Amino acid sequence: MTCFERSPLLPRDTIQARFAALIDAVERADSASQLLQATRTLAQTLSDLRQDSPAEPPPVDALACLVRILGFNNPGAAVAAVEGLIACGPDAVAVLLGGLDDRNYGAKAWAVRALAGIGDVRGLAILEQALADDVGPSVRRAAAIGMGTLRVSHLAPEHRQTVRQRSLSALQGASKDSEWVVRYAVAAALEKLCMELQARERICDEALSTLNILADIEREDVPVVRLRARLALNRLLSPRA
Amino acid sequence: MLVPLTMTGFPESPTPLTAAGDPISEEEALRRLRQDQDHSLQYYAAWWLGKMRSQHPDTIPLLLSALRQRQPREKGAGVEHNAVARNAAQALGKVGDGRAVPELLAALADEDEGLREAAARALGELGTTDAVRPLCERLASGLAGAGACRPNSPKLQEPCEALLEALGEIGEADSMVLDTIVPFLDHERPLIRSAAARALLQLTGEPTWAEPLLALLDHPQLQVRRAALMDLGAVGWRPALDPICRTQAENSLKLIALRGLLEHGIGEPSAETLLEAMDDLL
Repeated sequence: MTCFERSPLLPRDTIQARFAALIDAVERADSASQLLQATRTLAQTLSDLRQDSPAEPPPVDALACLVRILGFNNPGAAVAAVEGLIACGPDAVAVLLGGLDDRNYGAKAWAVRALAGIGDVRGLAILEQALADDVGPSVRRAAAIGMGTLRVSHLAPEHRQTVRQRSLSALQGASKDSEWVVRYAVAAALEKLCMELQARERICDEALSTLNILADIEREDVPVVRLRARLALNRLLSPRA
Repeated sequence: MLVPLTMTGFPESPTPLTAAGDPISEEEALRRLRQDQDHSLQYYAAWWLGKMRSQHPDTIPLLLSALRQRQPREKGAGVEHNAVARNAAQALGKVGDGRAVPELLAALADEDEGLREAAARALGELGTTDAVRPLCERLASGLAGAGACRPNSPKLQEPCEALLEALGEIGEADSMVLDTIVPFLDHERPLIRSAAARALLQLTGEPTWAEPLLALLDHPQLQVRRAALMDLGAVGWRPALDPICRTQAENSLKLIALRGLLEHGIGEPSAETLLEAMDDLL
């Protein structure tokens, strides 16, 4: 699918020329299927570059092109673009945050998914807002799981604690969401959040008590949410290997 | 899956009552259903009581009276009464009270095809075994009768999808029922084929009836793939896990289907495997 040559020593200007052609193909696409194909190629090429030359930063105009595609109202292309952005990891965050457009609901929803998938703390405020207020359950669901998978290991211990506390508070609020799938994502996210913590930390205790509510037949109507919460409790409370 | 119509297009409500579509209380819903000046308010109230599965003592009598509001079909008249009756029938299924059965069975023979559809779905939800025979009778004429297209209309002669699904939900697997359903596996419309396969799979648990549903997950039309996802979920057919994850459709719908596998299905793959597959789709 990709025309990118797998060589870690490819000269910078060759890479740039390659991406310029791929971006051009996206801009020139005049049908939904052409756009989908061009987006897939661009996203795949970025992923390949990331894998083959991890030190090479992805070209900003290629990232910006993927971010623009999120606003094109083409779900297939948006899925491919989100995958490409997630593959680029933290390098894509600044471009994603810089391209947020509050007036384009669809684009913002896809950006939230990309930020959730990347798990960079710079996206925390956007995830908090989406989890609390977004009208789309699928966006709240993505924001919830993103809260559980934020990467904090590189942060100073104090900052790390603040981020986890904010994630926990947001997830506790969302455990009362009216949509089962959001509560399901909250249960999965609380498990992931606790896995990173030492047992018996205060945050972990609070997460366990929210999981107990989600696992309780008196307080949670939807069986699959209770099943997920129980699985989380079993995994967290059983002695770790 | 039946989605309630939006309230758009209905006249504005009179001032003492809040606007249709706003969040309301059970008391307010019952009040709206009780009045008979504004049908759009009744329409919304009937839907609301069903969605909330209201257990108030007035709910069933008021829904039954709304169901009786229907009128003989005349061009330009009675349409709103019939819309209220359809939502009332649907709500009676959700509220889940056996008192509604005789009137729902009568509605199964109504002239209004939309009301027959709502009544069939409600009887399916209630699991009414007395409905099996009338449902089969509606379908007995097969592809050339019940399943034939109406002239100048996208509708079929009978609401086949709802009738087939109801037979599957009720769960009476005798040979008369199976023989009635089987011909619809060859219907020209994929959604009807999906409903027939779903019912047969629910009734018999025979893997052979899963094949048509799995094949429809590869159908070129998204709408058809979505229907097959919902049908596999409704049956809880756990062996469909991998094809469900692979099909090209929104993760939201795959999650609903996998929820069905967990809640309605048994056996392998295990619950933990299914939950992990759901996590990957979040």
